[in-house]
Amino acid sequence: MILLAKVALGVAGVAVAGAGMLCSEGLIHVKVVEKQAQGVHINLIAPAVLVPMCMHFAPQRNLAQAARQIQPYMPVVRAVMDGLHDSDDVVLVEVHGPGEYVHVAKSGGSIVVDVDDETDSVHVSAPIRVISSTVDDIAAADSNSY
Amino acid sequence: MRKTMRRRTPITAVLCLLAAGMTALVAPAIAAPAEKYLHVNVEDATKGESVNVNVPLSMAEKVLPAINNHGLHDGKITVHQAEMNGVDVRALLDAVRTAPDNEFVTVKEKDSDVRVAKANGNIIVHVIDKTNKDQKVDVTVPIKIVDALFSTAKNDELDIAAALRALSDAGDVLLVTVHDSTQNVRIWVDSRNTQD
Repeated sequence: MILLAKVALGVAGVAVAGAGMLCSEGLIHVKVVEKQAQGVHINLIAPAVLVPMCMHFAPQRNLAQAARQIQPYMPVVRAVMDGLHDSDDVVLVEVHGPGEYVHVAKSGGSIVVDVDDETDSVHVSAPIRVISSTVDDIAAADSNSY
Repeated sequence: MRKTMRRRTPITAVLCLLAAGMTALVAPAIAAPAEKYLHVNVEDATKGESVNVNVPLSMAEKVLPAINNHGLHDGKITVHQAEMNGVDVRALLDAVRTAPDNEFVTVKEKDSDVRVAKANGNIIVHVIDKTNKDQKVDVTVPIKIVDALFSTAKNDELDIAAALRALSDAGDVLLVTVHDSTQNVRIWVDSRNTQD
């Protein structure tokens, strides 16, 4: 009985440690709702740590073109990411219009984008560190593809 | 003697912990200057639209030097001499800086009114465009910011990054307001991260 309890404790410990490791970089949340009847309804919550891991499996050749396009803007992208990382939480952009609403904010180490109009509602949030490392990986893909 | 020492040690430890805790709580508030934000607010009453933009100045200071495009490079913008129309802007600014508060330029025309003045360490420009929906433009720029703009060694450059740093150090300031019959635009700097 005690042995069974020890095994259960071990399994639970591994599960908690695994969940903690997966969530250590935060979560990516994507929610898309098409407002028309039978519209698409997507709600995806995934550990952000999976994104850089998946990037290693992406075919480098296919990323090369994206890398070449993004490279000229990398100094600006890096500066923006550094600035956002160091700044306090802030609503960066807010647009209110008849039947539309756009909200871009930095909140708790993540970038949160909400867009809502008459046809769709979209919510995306992703940790800044993961966006930054992913963009770096894409930019580096050109040099890695040869 | 030993008993007294034993009694004092936990009290001292508790006091040290309290002091450390208080220091940890208070120190960041004393050491870190408040973040400043550049706010832009555009409201169009006829369309029922509003746009709010809030940019942390520290972020802008980091991003600006990274942009190298057209006339902008290393946080500085090149102004061609032809656009200066032969005016020695530095000498002009020096004259304005040393002059007492005054109204320097007043132009009243059929189509527009223009007023340029110096007041309380600010350069104030007030324009009314009568042909464009009675558009009123007010620009208030602290002289410190103007000095920072012209702080580069080259005559044909404006140091935007230095101006941003000066804005960070300056107090809350309403920089630009534009009013016309349909739109209101405000640009200002303060320590709040929202426009509420």
